[in-house]
Amino acid sequence: MSIARDIGAETFELARAGRELYSVFVRTLYYLFRGRRERGAVVRQMYEIGNKSFVFLTITMGFIGMIMVYQSGLQTKRVLPEFSLLGATFLELLTRDLAASLAALMLATRVGAGIAAEIGSMVVTEQVDALRMSAADPIDYLIKPRFVASIVMTTALVIWGGFVMFSVGGAVGYFAFDIQWRTWASIQLVSAGDLITGLTKCVAYGAAIPVVSGYCGLSTFGGSEGVGWATTRAVVNSSLAIIILNFFISGAAYVLFPK
Amino acid sequence: MIPAVERTLTLRTRFEDLAGQVGGGVLNVAQVAGGMGVLLRRILSRMFPPRLDYPELRRNMYKMSVKSVPIVIITALFTGAIMVIQAAPIVKRLGAEGLVGWAASFTTLREIAPLLTALMISGRVGANNTAELGTMVVTEQLDALRVLAIDPISFLILPRFIGIVVTLFMMTLYADALAILGATYCAKALLHVEPASFYHGMTSGLLGFGDVANGLIKSIVFGIVMALASCHFGLKTTGGAPGVGRSVNATVVASAAGIFVLDYFISFILG
Repeated sequence: MSIARDIGAETFELARAGRELYSVFVRTLYYLFRGRRERGAVVRQMYEIGNKSFVFLTITMGFIGMIMVYQSGLQTKRVLPEFSLLGATFLELLTRDLAASLAALMLATRVGAGIAAEIGSMVVTEQVDALRMSAADPIDYLIKPRFVASIVMTTALVIWGGFVMFSVGGAVGYFAFDIQWRTWASIQLVSAGDLITGLTKCVAYGAAIPVVSGYCGLSTFGGSEGVGWATTRAVVNSSLAIIILNFFISGAAYVLFPK
Repeated sequence: MIPAVERTLTLRTRFEDLAGQVGGGVLNVAQVAGGMGVLLRRILSRMFPPRLDYPELRRNMYKMSVKSVPIVIITALFTGAIMVIQAAPIVKRLGAEGLVGWAASFTTLREIAPLLTALMISGRVGANNTAELGTMVVTEQLDALRVLAIDPISFLILPRFIGIVVTLFMMTLYADALAILGATYCAKALLHVEPASFYHGMTSGLLGFGDVANGLIKSIVFGIVMALASCHFGLKTTGGAPGVGRSVNATVVASAAGIFVLDYFISFILG
């Protein structure tokens, strides 16, 4: 009995969270076109989300690029006799998936935690209630600027992160496997479909991170400890959202752009 | 129009500003690394011989491991499927359907499962732990423990440290198995590779115990880094409730950066 009850309660909880998340998303879209415009809010958020993540993202993406090329080079050696397509295949995978998904997972930790902590502490100090009392919807005032800034900056950072991964990978290829830069930097395998898939992922992840973390921040309760919980949930749920979106977008791309 | 002297001055202060920022960043990283090192030494001194609070260990293990199982299941199943979706065009191009089991399992066991599990657990368990410790610090509960002559390291930190390391190790095992399961059925759906030939590609000699061990060793190292970062920032919390939020943020960032940087070095050392 108690297992059935637990599962039922979890299902209801999940459905309720899904509906509220959807409502936050729809209202964000609504205010995007109909809301008030505050000068400088988006730019300030772009600085917070983009510029402040730059060093963190460059370091992590650089290291993961080195590992991937090193590991895949070692494996290629066991199956194929030569490395001439390694760079092109790596670039194809980067464009289609890796650059966007890995950078977004990194951003979900940094940006998601930041958004949830900020909005969460506004909720527990009743600043959000004060906003509502002044007839300003917190979604219009707090989440919309972050939404716009996050889409723009995620796309920019993904492109930069992909560039870092590819160049660092080229260096590893040169020093570890004697691949010349000219052989490495080949775009022969990247198709328009790959590019569209990659950019779709950028926009989808960029939209998902602020909506999910903003929702977690707005549903904070229980004082300072609650802010900690909200931050945790924001990081976990944004990462899960990215993995699930990745599955569906990749699957759709596999069907839409057959190779 | 700014006079020339003043212009060079602003240029100089700008340069000093930049140098100061870079130097401050380096000092900051050094301080965190040093603090984590000192914490590790303190933890180890309580571990041999073990002086820890067993009920607290059991409570933490339940909260960290059992409660993380659902997200690990979802993450692992989807990740395994994504691996195959991404590998599918390359496999088709090479006409190597028999190798898809090997390729997907290799990347999963060595890199993806330990890495993604560590990121998820760091978000759930590491951040949570920092928030809890930070709240205790700012409400002076740690000082109360010290007044009662209870060692906070063996009462609070050591159980959490062991809890996080063991949790990550076990969750990586789960994730390995579940990601391969997800990959198997995704390969059947997309590439029409039967599960039997998928498993044959895995076990026909290209993969060994070394590949599994490689990922598990990584998970232990990631667990140690995550536990140290989480406890360090929790204990160093200052400035009331907003300070707890800042600590949580710092933990998440430090864990993620530490995990990726160490991943490179471990992959390189283990080969």
